[in-house]
Amino acid sequence: MNKEQIEDIIRKYDNHEGRILGILEDIQEIYKYLPKESLEFVSEKLDIPLSKLYSIATFYSFFNLKPVGEHIITVCMGTACHVRGAKDILNNLMELLKIDVNETTEDGKFFLTTEDKHFSLNTARCFGCCSMAPVIRVDDKIYGYVTIKELPKILKTYGWKSK
Amino acid sequence: MDNEYIHVFINGQKFKAKEGELVIDIARRNGIFIPTLCYEESLKPYGACRMCIVEIKNKGVKKKITTSCTLQAFDGLYVKTDSNEVLKHRRILLELYLAQAPNPEKIKELAQRYGVKKTRFKEKYKEKDPLNNSCILCGLCVRVCNEIMGAGVIGFIGRGEKTRINTPFFEKSDLCLGCKACAEVCPTGAIKFIDEGNFRIANSWSNTSVELKKCKMCGKYFAPSKLDEKIDSIYYYRDKNNELRDLCPDCRRKVITKRINLITENEVEKYAK
Repeated sequence: MNKEQIEDIIRKYDNHEGRILGILEDIQEIYKYLPKESLEFVSEKLDIPLSKLYSIATFYSFFNLKPVGEHIITVCMGTACHVRGAKDILNNLMELLKIDVNETTEDGKFFLTTEDKHFSLNTARCFGCCSMAPVIRVDDKIYGYVTIKELPKILKTYGWKSK
Repeated sequence: MDNEYIHVFINGQKFKAKEGELVIDIARRNGIFIPTLCYEESLKPYGACRMCIVEIKNKGVKKKITTSCTLQAFDGLYVKTDSNEVLKHRRILLELYLAQAPNPEKIKELAQRYGVKKTRFKEKYKEKDPLNNSCILCGLCVRVCNEIMGAGVIGFIGRGEKTRINTPFFEKSDLCLGCKACAEVCPTGAIKFIDEGNFRIANSWSNTSVELKKCKMCGKYFAPSKLDEKIDSIYYYRDKNNELRDLCPDCRRKVITKRINLITENEVEKYAK
């Protein structure tokens, strides 16, 4: 963790309550997740209890508290996608990526990462493109009308190898 | 002088009050019962448990239901604490509480008072819950720890049905003073502390442990040393050489009594001459 980097981020914001979210967002942009040390450092710097920062970080699904993979796969679980089989897609992705389903996180978030830290898998409620249901997103690219058969092909473009 | 006061009508009775006073305070002062779970006078208004809902009605304003623990009084305010609508809402709330935490005495008591016998909602039960499935997430412990003790050891974690209260990262906290304020305010008695040897252990807060201070006379452990330091830092004029500081409450009493005895004995001798 680079302390100076975080100090720069803190300096960027004015001295008011609402800055915490901005600061945490900027930290996540650098590390892709919120390292525990960074939260401790921010808490010390701003004189905000760590418990409050942890509350914020666990409240918003946007924040990750565990290291994430290189590519983040988000499966839409909205109503339209659910009807068109989002659950099957999620289960198949977990099988393809060999992610243990029983690995529950203590902070109550669904965010699973493969062992080699290449892929992370999570779910979202709705992307707002229900007409293309079922939808998955890999990094910033959205794939519509996804079928189970297409999944290996999509994963391969991101460096997935079937063993 | 009369201008300083306003008049509020609660259940048809007229009461004198100061402007901006909380309606629940006015009601309680005048012996009107309003049930609460999350209200604490020493803390800022919060309005989490919703048990204290009342019906307010004013000229030109539509009747509405609001929490009396956050409602500031103004002149000519009409409040009904037990109207049929309020009771209806309160009963639903109690059913929800019974689903969330069926065991605490206070919830049972309130449910009985309002005639709620069973809940129609699915009971929430977690195995290995550090709060014994008694937490109603009213937030009192979090507020006390932040606002009064200034420690900020615990906080809400997650959201929605998965919300819990615990220390950050579910790890032992080194900020905890061991003051037990959270256990003291908890309306359902969910928070448990155990004094074991020279440590006070908070089972509910990820087994956070705090060292206790030993009494110099009887050797009993009586108060967390961190709390003692904290008090010292606030009351810097506190007599550091006072021998009573290192004694447990029982021994303090003994020492003080002895002191009084000594003085009187001396005086007796003095006057006997």
